[in-house]
Amino acid sequence: MNNSKPFSIKISGPAGAGIAKLGEILSSAFNREGFFTLVYSEYPSRIRGGDNNIQIVISRNGDISPKEKVDLLFAFDDVLLEKHKNEVISGGKALSATRLKLNELGPVKENPIVLNSAVAGFLWSLFLKDLKSLNLQIKESVKEAFLKANLEAVHSGFELNQQKDDFDSTRATKKIVSLNGNELFAKAAEQADCQYASIYPMTPITGFLNSLSKTKIKTVMPEDEIFAALSTLGASYAGKRAITATSGGGFCLMSEAVGFAGMAEIPLVILLGQRTGPSSGIPTFTSQADLLFAINSSHGDFSKIVLAPGDLEEVYFLTQEAFNLADIYQVPVIILTDKYLSESRFSTTEESLKKIKVRINRGKRFKKQKSPYKRYQTTPSGVSARAFPGETAFITNSYEHDEYGFSTDEVSDRLAMVSKRERKLKNLQGGFSVFGDKDSKKLILGWGSTKTQILEYIRENPRVKFIHVNRPWPFPQGVISHLEKAKKIIIVENNFSGQMAQILKGQTTVKVESILKDDGRPFFQEELDREINKKI
Amino acid sequence: MKANSKQIPSWCPGCDNFMVLSALKGVLGDLKLAPKDVVICYDIGCAGNMVNLLDACAVETLHGRSIPVASGVKSARPELTVIAQAGDGGLLNEGLNHFIHAISRDDDITLIVNNNLVFGLTAGQRSSATPQGAVSRSDQGGFAQVPLSVVDLCVASGGRFIARVLASDINQTKTIIKKALDFKGFAVVEIIEPCKIWAKNFPKTNYKKVKEPFQSRKNLIGKQNITGLLFKEQAKS
Repeated sequence: MNNSKPFSIKISGPAGAGIAKLGEILSSAFNREGFFTLVYSEYPSRIRGGDNNIQIVISRNGDISPKEKVDLLFAFDDVLLEKHKNEVISGGKALSATRLKLNELGPVKENPIVLNSAVAGFLWSLFLKDLKSLNLQIKESVKEAFLKANLEAVHSGFELNQQKDDFDSTRATKKIVSLNGNELFAKAAEQADCQYASIYPMTPITGFLNSLSKTKIKTVMPEDEIFAALSTLGASYAGKRAITATSGGGFCLMSEAVGFAGMAEIPLVILLGQRTGPSSGIPTFTSQADLLFAINSSHGDFSKIVLAPGDLEEVYFLTQEAFNLADIYQVPVIILTDKYLSESRFSTTEESLKKIKVRINRGKRFKKQKSPYKRYQTTPSGVSARAFPGETAFITNSYEHDEYGFSTDEVSDRLAMVSKRERKLKNLQGGFSVFGDKDSKKLILGWGSTKTQILEYIRENPRVKFIHVNRPWPFPQGVISHLEKAKKIIIVENNFSGQMAQILKGQTTVKVESILKDDGRPFFQEELDREINKKI
Repeated sequence: MKANSKQIPSWCPGCDNFMVLSALKGVLGDLKLAPKDVVICYDIGCAGNMVNLLDACAVETLHGRSIPVASGVKSARPELTVIAQAGDGGLLNEGLNHFIHAISRDDDITLIVNNNLVFGLTAGQRSSATPQGAVSRSDQGGFAQVPLSVVDLCVASGGRFIARVLASDINQTKTIIKKALDFKGFAVVEIIEPCKIWAKNFPKTNYKKVKEPFQSRKNLIGKQNITGLLFKEQAKS
């Protein structure tokens, strides 16, 4: 392993072989040794057999983007070895469990299910001279009843390699943690005092549902996404913070709830995990093609907020912020994630997550008063004080209404309310970050989960400016002056039609070029570097 | 919500919803429930327009979606009294999925079904409760299907509190809604109130009151002409 460059391993095996668990254990063990890791998975929609892949990227400096070609391929059998061997860099290694006779090792013969632990032990031997961190990780991740068999398998795989390598040079000294997006979305919701979640399972947010069910948050798995969104709305109306999550297909069913939240001014937080669409699409693969759908979801004119975190820190921060924004402005807030961000395991220092503190802000609240309470009082900010049931009686209405909430079709009521709802988000600040050379005339713009790859490009090419938009809607007005100063603007998106570029056309007249990809995979680093260098 | 004196009901003259409103006001008053502690989630449709007329924490939801919202409210705030209102269209057509699953989950809410046998507010199309053979504006040759029954669906899904009342009988309506609110679990009260405008020529049913609830809910199947508290399961062990 070269001292500065990340090292990438692709592991390929059938579904059911425990490859996801292998990735989890290896990455966390490498984290214990001071390495940053990425575990990016590609798997078909099936439970046993087939071709499941993970790519583990091991890095000293935190550059953990997925690669087009890997340094090492490890296949569980020779068919998969043949299938993937062209994905190895020239001079790289391609190995298989069968050729190495890992399945003939004693512990594996006795109990074939522990083959993945023998693989872990063998791979570990290519990097480190002792098993301490890997054994510690196995003890943490494997159930007591299976521990002995797995530890023996790890040991036998490790001892199979007589020429152990050692990369015991400079490492991070801070504690490194690995999490997938879904796990951290759940931690963030708990941190934000969310108390109710209703979620119908769907890739890629099923892991979010599973993670939530391990927290104190009351988690309901309902009959459909319509119930999920509307019961979340009900819990929120009743005064508790609540969240639902879905993917594009389920979000189609939720769009009536989005409009209801807009009209009735009920905070509603939705985590929308994008995958390759339209329709059933490629269910277990990634995409960024639901941006315009999220922004334009539901009929009629009303305010909503769309957020798009790009890495673990933003997942943690923006999810908590989403609850604040929903409460402060009483609007729907959609957090966009995707298969890549939700299901890949990323790592960061424990400290950088601990530093993120978001104070809970429940927004403008009802106070006891002599005059009748106006739930939808018109105000300069457009925001009215919100009561919860139990404090006073009041009407919450999906029909157009007057200030009290009574249904109305009067012109004056309609105009007062539609403009009140519209002006709520007029002065929203922020929504983006600037990286790289802040004075550069060359500008790359990305949003959501392309952040880590573009940041890695910027570190290698520091004379370029990178703007990462983490709140695509309302579009951050601060970005416009950057666009107008730039001579070259490249927009990077994981979709086919350039949806962010289409938004920009409504905001400014500057000319932009797009780098687009919608084949179900995230941008691989070499690929992105190549595409940017062609244009820049 | 003291400003509601200006609200004029949008219902037609002679509509049974006036009776239902009167019964509900009586129930909430008799039980001394403070309006601030009662959440009523309304369906879209004629009866749903009660949202403007009954003093409570009133939520006008979407067509067929009063149950999901009510379920979320109750999950978040179990101490509140939560009622979901639905029309026959919202319950048996648009939102049937939620009805069956609410019974299965046994959400601790009271469901009031205002069954006027027809789509009233879109002006006279048949609903899934419209009697077989009835001529409506959407089925000029007569409705060919066998209607769905609120009570039968309740029985088949394991409903624990099943009642049917006539809107015209305010006392019966009041007595049974009180029992439903007192019941811990999902309680269903179907209120029969054939639309005076669009259902006036529909085949008629002669209803008779039951004296006692049935011991076994399956004996209710197919009996579309009985009213009263039809089945009540004893408290869950």
